[in-house]
Amino acid sequence: MFKLKELVQMRNRGGGGTTSSGGGMGGGACYTYPDAPATIGRVTPDVSFNRGIYMNGSVQMDDGNSVRVWGFTDGGGGMGGMGGQFPSPAIRVTEGQIVHTNLTVNGMMWLHTIHHHGIEPSTENDGVGHYSFDVDGTYTYQWKAAHAGTYFYHCHTNTVLHAEMGMYGALIIDPPEGAGTLFSGGPDYDVEAIWACDEFDSSWHNLPWDAGTCGADVGLNKLDPDYFLITGVDGAQSAATNPAVAVTMSQQQTLLVRYINAGYLAQRIDFGGLEVEIHMSDGRALPQPETVTEIQSVSAERYDCIIKPQNTGVYTVTIEYLDWVTDEVIGTAQTRITVT
Amino acid sequence: MKRREFLKFGTAGVASSMLGSLGLLTWVPRAHAITINKTYYITDGFVAQVDGQDVYFRGFSNSSGTLNMPAEPIIAQQGDTLNITIINTLGTTHSFVIDGIVDSGSIAGGASKTVSFTVNNAGSYLFYDKLNAPYNRLSGLHGGFAVMPSGSSNELYSGSATFVQQYFWVTNDVDPVWHEAIRVGNTPSTPFTPRYFTINGRNMRVPGHPEYTNTDRDSGYATDTRLVGSVGDRTLIRIQNVGLCRHSVHFHANHVEWLAVNGSPRPQVWKKDTLNLPNNKGSLDVIYPFEAPPDAWPPVSTGHFPMHFHDEMTQTAGGGFYQFGLATTIEFK
Ligand SMILES: [Cu+2]
Ligand SMILES: [Cu+2]
Repeated sequence: MFKLKELVQMRNRGGGGTTSSGGGMGGGACYTYPDAPATIGRVTPDVSFNRGIYMNGSVQMDDGNSVRVWGFTDGGGGMGGMGGQFPSPAIRVTEGQIVHTNLTVNGMMWLHTIHHHGIEPSTENDGVGHYSFDVDGTYTYQWKAAHAGTYFYHCHTNTVLHAEMGMYGALIIDPPEGAGTLFSGGPDYDVEAIWACDEFDSSWHNLPWDAGTCGADVGLNKLDPDYFLITGVDGAQSAATNPAVAVTMSQQQTLLVRYINAGYLAQRIDFGGLEVEIHMSDGRALPQPETVTEIQSVSAERYDCIIKPQNTGVYTVTIEYLDWVTDEVIGTAQTRITVT
Repeated sequence: MKRREFLKFGTAGVASSMLGSLGLLTWVPRAHAITINKTYYITDGFVAQVDGQDVYFRGFSNSSGTLNMPAEPIIAQQGDTLNITIINTLGTTHSFVIDGIVDSGSIAGGASKTVSFTVNNAGSYLFYDKLNAPYNRLSGLHGGFAVMPSGSSNELYSGSATFVQQYFWVTNDVDPVWHEAIRVGNTPSTPFTPRYFTINGRNMRVPGHPEYTNTDRDSGYATDTRLVGSVGDRTLIRIQNVGLCRHSVHFHANHVEWLAVNGSPRPQVWKKDTLNLPNNKGSLDVIYPFEAPPDAWPPVSTGHFPMHFHDEMTQTAGGGFYQFGLATTIEFK
């Protein structure tokens, strides 16, 4: 564990920390900006969410290994004691609402933020440490849900590590019509799947929260993933049948897949022969929907896909994870759409 | 290869670095085509990285005594004729190429050559050294080249969405082991492992670092990368990726209008917060609209936000140093 006094000393250097070039040997955080100011122009929200931190979660992989994950708890006030769900609990709101996301972080232990990816609030509420602050205490992010669509939220402190460690969750904005409609004037759906596709380099998963921040070479320039997941479930085998991921629907129903590239590598998602209509990307309606059978994405893109199966059957959906230099497939994850 | 004293940039007491270009691209439309003459000097030198490592680069520079990396961009108009003179001050052979437009062929060490060509199609291009591919290009011999539509001051191509100001962002992935091999005349033989990620030759600095706000060193403050505007200042960004890695480009505070990829106009303009930037001379043309951040409550019209790549390995330097990677600042003033 961290030596608390040393940590506080480091942080009192005004963010500078050890700058003496050549790769400090770690030990302490540098270039962090702990604070928890009052929210500017705070109002009574239409909806609020409380988030705390867990740093000792784990995910069971199909090969029997368990990999450590970090994330956000539902309820806040967490001291990092208990593990939590992975991905972190979703934030789901309705277009037009004023939202409070209350994040509580024990700054004596570590620092984190919440960035609502694709949501475009003021600087103070954007959750990027070096443009505002890393949360030390409790901060209320206040924002307005202007556009229906699919987003996600993630930590933006030492992001390269914290997002890879699993500190993200879905963020859905429903239109005023409510769940069941993608956006006002857009398609309706009966069944919904949220597929956040991610990869783990398990060699990163034993690093401390502030790894590399003072300049030590901790290998964060090189992602060499060994696990490939869909919404927190190992895509080697489990995601094919896990009810949190795999879809069962009738041929008369309409499916909405909210596809989130939650990893760092480019991905190619193939829908097993099903045609999909892309109606939105990144929380904005396309001028015209596009019909495709596969989508290539990069980190943090979202695509909202409407599927109206023409035939019953079991369709295997494959996500391929692509090398950033060669585009070669370096891993796959699979799930299923069963149409009865 | 003849060795001489290298230029060294980026440390105190040495000549001011000439990383990047000279700032915001300015452009005044003309009724008639003209002839544009430009001379580039192929030079080399070392650039100190944030972790103290000196990395070797080459550039198409504005004088024999500087290292401009990337080169100062060229902006022309449809119908213009360009006479580009390349003076190769190094001992190695190089070239000047714009795909589909001009190829100088080999320019031997110590030699010079002038290429002349006319530009007909509006859009964003890259000029680069095609020889010894991809190594000469990766080493820094590259720059942006823009062709404006005839008589137009505010379009990417005739009839496109309009803008009021424009930028070139040239991005690169830097493996210092490869750069050292290039310096000594070897072909890199190790797996490509980038350790620095640059936008117009620089990377990010943050509060508390001595180079924070230094416009020569900090890509968040360099005038050719930092987006500055007031609400309504629609800004065209011509993104050219000379590097070997495919990337994810993420804008905070506004979605961008996605006009073109790899030089081809998109049939539909999508609004995106995150875009797929192809590698190996891939490109994107986008307009950052500088609209008031739509999800702010209470509403705001000012602020500071990042543009950063979202494949977050790019946000590191030397294997750590999160926040010292490929990013810049968007300032709503
Ligand atoms: Cu975090
Ligand atoms: Cu993000």
